Amino acid sequence: MKLLVGTGALLSFVGGAALATGPATPPNAAAAQPPEVKKHELPVSKDGNLVVGLCDGETSMEVKGVKAGQSLTRAQAQHVSGALMEEWLRKNPDAHWDAVPLVAQAPAPGATTPRTQQPRPPAPASSQTVRPGGVTPESGGAEVKKELSAPIQDGHTYGAFSDRDEAIWAASTQQFVDEGHRVFHDAAAIGGTVGISCDMCHPDASNTHPETYPKYQVQLGRVALLRDMINWCIENPVRGRPLADGDPRMRAMEAYIYAKRKGVKLEYGKK
Amino acid sequence: MRPPCGVALSLAVLLFAQAGQAQPAERRAVSLPDDLPPGVSQVLWKLSVPADLAPTPERVLLGEKLFNDQRLSVDNTVSCSTCHDARFGFTDAKPVSEGVKGQKVTRNSPTLLNALFNASQFWDGRASTLEDQAKLPILNPREMGMPDEAAVVAKVKAIPEYVRDFQNVFGREVNFDDLAAAIAAFERTLYSGDAKFDRFITGDSRAFTAAERRGWALFNGKARCNTCHAGNVVSPLFSDQKFHNIGIAAHKQDFVKLAREALKVVRTGDAQQIDELALETRFSELGRFLVTKQENDVGAFKTPTLRNIAITGPYMHDGTLTTLWDVMDHYNKGGVPNPYLDGGMQRLGLTEAEIDDVVAFLFTLTDARFAKYAAKEQARQRRLKHKRPERDTAVAMGKSGNLGDLAPNPDLSVKNPADIGVYGTETLVKPASTSRP
Repeated sequence: MKLLVGTGALLSFVGGAALATGPATPPNAAAAQPPEVKKHELPVSKDGNLVVGLCDGETSMEVKGVKAGQSLTRAQAQHVSGALMEEWLRKNPDAHWDAVPLVAQAPAPGATTPRTQQPRPPAPASSQTVRPGGVTPESGGAEVKKELSAPIQDGHTYGAFSDRDEAIWAASTQQFVDEGHRVFHDAAAIGGTVGISCDMCHPDASNTHPETYPKYQVQLGRVALLRDMINWCIENPVRGRPLADGDPRMRAMEAYIYAKRKGVKLEYGKK
Repeated sequence: MRPPCGVALSLAVLLFAQAGQAQPAERRAVSLPDDLPPGVSQVLWKLSVPADLAPTPERVLLGEKLFNDQRLSVDNTVSCSTCHDARFGFTDAKPVSEGVKGQKVTRNSPTLLNALFNASQFWDGRASTLEDQAKLPILNPREMGMPDEAAVVAKVKAIPEYVRDFQNVFGREVNFDDLAAAIAAFERTLYSGDAKFDRFITGDSRAFTAAERRGWALFNGKARCNTCHAGNVVSPLFSDQKFHNIGIAAHKQDFVKLAREALKVVRTGDAQQIDELALETRFSELGRFLVTKQENDVGAFKTPTLRNIAITGPYMHDGTLTTLWDVMDHYNKGGVPNPYLDGGMQRLGLTEAEIDDVVAFLFTLTDARFAKYAAKEQARQRRLKHKRPERDTAVAMGKSGNLGDLAPNPDLSVKNPADIGVYGTETLVKPASTSRP
């Protein structure tokens, strides 16, 4: 039987316990061969049941009544991931673990995230202000602005942007985050084969700690970026194929996860 | 105990209906049109259409009638649709437009498709709204040639059906502002976003041919088109709505001398004077400078939308480039050097095959309703492709001149940059219906 690796959650905290120092690699050797990523080998069920593993690379559980190769329903998957997490917490009573928000506080699956910043309707073009620069005394350009009735839209070049531009940017970012929210909450969208989605272990993106990357990640046996961890989760608990760095779903999920930690201090390398 | 579901529902419907009745006509019209195609952003629509100027059906009807009415011109020969003809994608397919008595202006007629989303109107942005824009061509001596606003109002008032229409739509006598408002309301219905590109970006990866995919990758990479022609899901116009000097007018001008002379005549904030200078004099080539009098605006023109670019040629503010191959040649050699050339201009080093690919991509931005015309135009432009006045391969390839280094070639064998969500995020969700009334 194939390697079945399993589910998991807070890889960062699990991994933090063993703060191994990576081998000092000379910078020019970095492009060579990345170190082999560790694999979590799952036990095989005697009855041919599905075995789901936790992200710690050690814990696993057999799902009675579901054969290997079958997919879990969302409710089953939620139950399994919850049971695995409880098992991990029992084994690691002293682990640093952020409180998971109450279900009532977490957004319903499929709901869009609340907008942190609603785009303001842009002011009429003629009354926009411009940042200084580009006006020469000779041209008399400054005089134009004094004429309030002049139909001038200021801010036409690099570094000078209107409220309209900023509203478009804010909406573009929010659109990206919303797409990430969708992928994060949908097992099928990230190519999962057992029905487990990201939000089952990380409700509301909790315990994802994007601000702590890059850092040494024990499960991987090397220094990881956030996207490496996302891919580990996709390969193991979610049982999908890892996404390319530039995959739109990967980009969107990173956006969503970062958006959820807005305002948290950047502390790369933290356990 | 909760009331049964059906009761709650009918109650809600009842409440909603009552609320709907209580609302004034203009409030009701603010809601999004229900036929927005996938390539039109709802966010941008809301940002671009002011609540009090949303197109009501009555205004749109009156506006369309005025838009097509040659009686708005001094000799009853020219209407708005003369230069913005629906058959040609709301342009006139001429290098520069012709007004009353066969007079030519100095600028190319821009398309009205998606003009409602523009941050400003005209090639130099001298009008900030569609309403302001609609007034100027009526009064320009070389366009529709009416002597002044009062003359327009008097002429329209003498037409009984308009007296009745204005009374019905605006509840008052004919006036110039309402006339412009009606035309602008019609223009706010001219959105377009049902193109092959939209099918591709919303998840149908087979919508593009291999050449079109390569073209989209080049567009975002080596060809650097997205530097100014930026597009994403929220703003899918492929225009930054800014003004750039790409050197088109430098073919025929000493910009510095011309700008000095212009400073002596341009009156700050005089919209009508600027309009006439822009359309009738050699100062036209100063572009945005006429509006702002700022030196770094000399020779700068607005980045036009690339939506429907296949059918809205000839290209550039003066219509001097005939085909999209000419446009690519212009950019490939880094534009035409001049003291005010935009800092983003540099040679691109595109090969002939790459130029063909980018052009193939540009044709995918045409709305489906113009498919037949676009195919004809594509064949015509391809025939002209062997006559290339702007081509300068030595400069484009860096064998002569000094126009900087190139952006790296996209490595299509490793990963197609077209796949990486440069257009925001490729959504896997299928777009809403594209049906039109």
